[in-house]
Amino acid sequence: MTLFGIAWRNIRQRGLNSALTVLSLALGVALVVATLVTGNVVQQAFASGTGLGYNMIIGAKGSPLQLVLNSVYYISRPIENIPWGVYEEFLPANRRDDGRDGRFASSTAVAVPICMGDYWQGYRVIGTNAAMFDRLTRGGGRPYRFAAGRNLRDENYFEGVVGAAVAARYGMKLGDEFSPTHGADDGPKHDPFKLVGILERTDTPVDRGVFVNMEGFYLQDGHAKPIDDDKPNKPAEPGSGQTAEAGIPVDVGGTKPLRKIQREVTSILLETASAAGLLPELTAMGVRTAINEGRDAQAALPIGEIRQLLDLFVRPLELLLLLITAMVVVVSAVGILVSMVGSTLERKRDVAIMRALGARRGHVLSTVLVEAVLLAVAGGLAGWLLGHLLVGAIGPWIATNAGVSAGVLSAAPQAELLLVPFIVGLAILAGILPAVAAYRTDVARWLQGPG
Amino acid sequence: MDAPSVISLSDVRKTFPVPGGEPLTVLDVDRFEVAGGEQVSLEGRSGSGKSTLLNVISGILRPDRGSVVVDGLDLTRFNEATRDRIRADKLGMVFQSFNLLPGFTALENVLVAMSFGTGRPDRSRAESLLASVGLAHRLSHRPAHLSIGEQQRVAVARALANRPRAILADEPTASIDPAHQQQVIDLLRNTCREQGVALLIVTHSPEVASQFERRIRIEDFNRAARAGRPEATGGRPEATAGRPEATGGRPATAGGGRQ
Repeated sequence: MTLFGIAWRNIRQRGLNSALTVLSLALGVALVVATLVTGNVVQQAFASGTGLGYNMIIGAKGSPLQLVLNSVYYISRPIENIPWGVYEEFLPANRRDDGRDGRFASSTAVAVPICMGDYWQGYRVIGTNAAMFDRLTRGGGRPYRFAAGRNLRDENYFEGVVGAAVAARYGMKLGDEFSPTHGADDGPKHDPFKLVGILERTDTPVDRGVFVNMEGFYLQDGHAKPIDDDKPNKPAEPGSGQTAEAGIPVDVGGTKPLRKIQREVTSILLETASAAGLLPELTAMGVRTAINEGRDAQAALPIGEIRQLLDLFVRPLELLLLLITAMVVVVSAVGILVSMVGSTLERKRDVAIMRALGARRGHVLSTVLVEAVLLAVAGGLAGWLLGHLLVGAIGPWIATNAGVSAGVLSAAPQAELLLVPFIVGLAILAGILPAVAAYRTDVARWLQGPG
Repeated sequence: MDAPSVISLSDVRKTFPVPGGEPLTVLDVDRFEVAGGEQVSLEGRSGSGKSTLLNVISGILRPDRGSVVVDGLDLTRFNEATRDRIRADKLGMVFQSFNLLPGFTALENVLVAMSFGTGRPDRSRAESLLASVGLAHRLSHRPAHLSIGEQQRVAVARALANRPRAILADEPTASIDPAHQQQVIDLLRNTCREQGVALLIVTHSPEVASQFERRIRIEDFNRAARAGRPEATGGRPEATAGRPEATGGRPATAGGGRQ
C-alpha cells in the first residue's frame, strides 16, 4: 500500500470526524472563493468600464462620483439638472435654432441626453432618445440588441423600452403600458408609456433601467422648467399647430413637444470624437477642461471616478471581507489540527504497530502529513466547487442589483490559484503537531504486554 | 545447532535510565542464538526482560553494547531507518492481543506490512497467505468483524508477508481463550515449519512452552534476570518497577539457553 493508501484508510477509519473536518474547511473555502470571485467580477466590471459606450458624462456641478453613480449605475440621486443649452453645445447646426454647430459639435461622436427623477416599481425611469441604443454601444463596440420588439422612436413620444432584468421580474411583454411615478415610488402617477422593446441581457446597469422617450418624459407634470414669460407653462395641446423647434422630433400622434426653454437634462452621455488634428484623448481633455471651466456643468470621466471608487471603498471592503473569510479558513484548519490531535492516542497504537512492522519514522510522519493534506485538498476542492455554485446561485441577484454578471464559471484565477498553496500550507502546519507526535511514538512502550 | 543461526546475540547489554538513580540493567546476555527454521519457546517471569529481548532482536531498541545479528546483518551497526528496513524484510512480528490495524481489512493489513519491505506489495501473495491460514473468504473484513482466532490468523499471515527468516511472537495466546490457544500455536508452528521460518515465541503458558523441542527460560541466559531485580519490559522500566513478580515460572528445561 502506498502512503496515500494508508493515509486514506486512516481518514476512512475516522469517517465522521474526517467528514466534519472536510465540511468545515469546505464551508470556509467556499466563502473565500465566493468573495474572491464576486469581488473580482465586480472590480473587472467597474474597472474595465464594461457597459460603457461613452467616455465622458456631463452633468450638474457637484460630486463627479455622484454624477457617475447616478448616470451610469442608476444609483444615488441626481445632483441637479443642467440647462438644455449645454446639451445643444454638442449638437450640429441642423439640430440647433441658430443654424451653427455647437461649441463641442466637432468633438462629439455621440451625445445622448438622459433625464431622471421618475420611478417604476422601484426601477429608475430614464428619459432619453433613440440614440441611447442606436448609437451608443454596450462598450467594446457591442451594439445593444432587443430580445423582443424594437428601440424607441423619437417621433413616438409615449413609448418605452425596458432592460432584461425589469422585463423578467415583472413578466412584461410588448404592448404593455406602464405609468412611471414622479420623484418616488409612491409619487404621483404620470401618463402611461407603451412598451415597444425589451433589451437583451447585457449584465450592465441597463438591465435594471426603464427607458422612455424623453419627449414624452418632458410632457409629464413637474418635468417642465418654470419660466417667467407670457406663454403657458405647459405643453402645447395636440393639434395646436405649433411648429417644432430645430432638432425636436415631431410626434406622429400630434402631441406638441415641450419648448426648449423649459427643458433641462440630468446628464449627457458623451463619446468624444477626434477633433481635427488632435488625438481622441486630447480632444476629450479639451472638452472636459472647457466644460469644467464654465459655470453650468461639469464633465466627469466615468472610468477615473470608478477607479477612485474602487480604490477608496470597494477594494478596502473586499480586503476586509477577504480577511474575515481567510480567518474562517484558518479556523477550519485549526479544526483539522484538533481532529488529528484528538485522535493522537488512537493513532499512537496504530503507529506503533506500523513501526514494529518495519515502517520508518519518516513513513509515519509522511502518512500523517499526507492525511492532513488529503483532508485539506478534499475540503478545498469541495469548498471551491461550493463557492462557484454559490456565486452561480447569487449571480442573478448580483446582476440585478449591481448590474454585473457573475456565474458558476466566473473566476478570480490568480487569487484562486494562490488559495491552493495557502490551504495546503495550512494543512501541513495543522498536520505537523500530530505528525511529530506520531514520529516520536515510543514503539516498545505502545506494544508492550504485561510480561 | 545444525543450521546456521538466523538470530545471534553476543555480549549484549541493555540498560534504561532511572530518574535520580543508577541505570537499570534489563538485559545482560553473553550469547543467545536461534537457528534457521528452529522453533523456540521463551519463558520467564514478568519483568525478566523477555519483551526487551524481542525489541533488541527486532532492532526497535538498540543495546548499549554487544552485537545483534539477524540473518548475517549486525543491527548495531546500522541507523534506525536501516534497522527498520531489516526488521520489515527479515523478521515477522506477532504481538499479543490483536494488534491489527483496525481501519484496514484483513488483506490490507498484510499489504501494509509488505509496503514497508524492500519488495513491492504483492496482492496475490497476500491473498494466498491469508488463504493458507484459512481466511480466503475473509479478505475484505476488518478486524472488528473477525473473531479473535481469525484476527490472530491474519496476524500470522501478516508476519509472513515479506518472507521473513524468523518470526518473533510475543505472547500470541495471551488474549485468547484456552479453546483457541492451541489453534494459534498449531497455526504458527505449522506455518513456520512449512515456510522454513524460525520461530521465537514468548509465553507464560507451560502448556504452550512444553510443545517446543527447545524450551528455554530467560533467566538461564540473562544475567540481569538472574540477579532478581525488578526489571523493565518494553523499554519502560519505571512502569514495572516494584511490580509483584509472576508466579507462573517453571524451572528451565534441559537444553534451555544456547549459551
